[in-house]
Amino acid sequence: MGAREDEYDYLFKVVLIGDSGVGKSNLLSRFTRNEFNLESKSTIGVEFATRSIEVDGKTIKAQIWDTAGQERYRAITSAYYRGAVGALLVYDIAKHLTYENVERWLRELRDHADQNIVIMLVGNKSDLRHLRSVPTDEAKLFAERNGLSFIETSALDSTNVETAFQNILTGDVLHPSNVEPIDVKPTVTADVRKPCCH
Amino acid sequence: MDATASSKFSDVDEYGFKRGDHFDYNNYSKFMDGYLKTLTRRRMKWEAILQQNTDLTQVDAKLKRYIRKGIPGPYRPDVWMKISGAAAAQRRSPDLFRNLLRTEPFDKEISDSISIDLPRTFPDNIHFDMKKQRLYNILIAYAHHNRDVGYCQGLNYIAGLLLIVTDDEEKSFWLLKHIVENIVPQYHSHNMANLLRDLAVFRELVIRRIPAVNRHVDNLGLPYPVIASKWFICIFAEVLPVETVLRIWDCVFAEGYKIVFRAALTMFVTHKNAILGCDDIAALANLFRDTMIQDNIVTDCHGFVEAMFSLRLKRSELESLRKVAVLNPA
Repeated sequence: MGAREDEYDYLFKVVLIGDSGVGKSNLLSRFTRNEFNLESKSTIGVEFATRSIEVDGKTIKAQIWDTAGQERYRAITSAYYRGAVGALLVYDIAKHLTYENVERWLRELRDHADQNIVIMLVGNKSDLRHLRSVPTDEAKLFAERNGLSFIETSALDSTNVETAFQNILTGDVLHPSNVEPIDVKPTVTADVRKPCCH
Repeated sequence: MDATASSKFSDVDEYGFKRGDHFDYNNYSKFMDGYLKTLTRRRMKWEAILQQNTDLTQVDAKLKRYIRKGIPGPYRPDVWMKISGAAAAQRRSPDLFRNLLRTEPFDKEISDSISIDLPRTFPDNIHFDMKKQRLYNILIAYAHHNRDVGYCQGLNYIAGLLLIVTDDEEKSFWLLKHIVENIVPQYHSHNMANLLRDLAVFRELVIRRIPAVNRHVDNLGLPYPVIASKWFICIFAEVLPVETVLRIWDCVFAEGYKIVFRAALTMFVTHKNAILGCDDIAALANLFRDTMIQDNIVTDCHGFVEAMFSLRLKRSELESLRKVAVLNPA
């Protein structure tokens, strides 16, 4: 994907959270491999993928952690919020309950993530127009009130997926205060090995 | 698809799973040349043993040896039911399953979470669409039977595979109950306490047996729960090739939880060089997520199970590690 795997200017960790079945894994595979799987499978535990993007001549390497949505899995997954600069909090625009549960996920982030984590509320499955149950304006307003950025995506038809990840990744570059708690490694030589972000 | 055309093997396996695009037909063909003979021999031996011993509730040394070499497919449902004790439990409460299914209305939250996972269970299996309602019955019945567990994601894969093997809802229910309550208790409950404990135990085992591999994994920064949660939660269902999972389950039903550790450790030991060859976290994650779960080592179910039992591992060691890990989970 463009930049060499072992060269980067910034290493950012992003987590994907939200209820079961909202499309987190497909957002991840769309962004990292440009793949969408109609025959998707439930994610068990935590999965991990990376992709590097170029912004203003700088290489940002994203480490994205995809988590199981079922509540009890937070026993495992909450450990991975630490050190994350961004969280994509995903709901399904066609399933209102997944939107109602956003508040629970925010509490979860407040309890386990770093204080200045950037949170983007993501209404996924925007292709399901005829089934929409969460109005865009309502979600947008909720996001504003809670200091979250907001976007609607479709992992199926690719709408805004790139933008969502780009925004959460470059947002961090524009606001250096956000990156302080994690491991930001300016590339000095061409051979910086990715240390992990723990 | 060219590879399939020239292969004597279909692109769907005997359980209905589509073989992936990267399935190595040549290698599989080589493996099956030998394994088919093994299967035939084994079947004859099992026929003999089943004529002498229909009870199978006592797993003596001979039966254990037979089971480790694999239970022939047609005998699996009954042998699993008997050796695990699930058949005896069913005899003690013969109406339990049917009664549970009559407890409608079902808890809506549980029913919804099961329903979300039904289409996401074995979408790559061509027969499974027809089994979805039966899978729902097994999972909803169990969730109402055991409220501490309810429905835990991952049980769909265990119950789904049980259903594929037994083709019987009720047997699947009893075998699922046995796994969740007796083999790996508190893995699937709300706090997943024993899962976290056993992941810590597993890491300790890797440190003891192959310290260089653990150091490398730690250095690259891939946590054990990311690598192995699914292995333990699903007992390798929807992780390894089906026949390999079933061979592991043969032993799990006969010998218990220790087998899960054996299989997990074998994954590391047999892929030691591949793990050490990864030079960043992304490569390592790919290895565990893609390559390692479908390569020739794990496709050769016979070789894999042999490798499992060539490892030195005692229940007493696991038990003492568990005592320490409770204080310091993964």
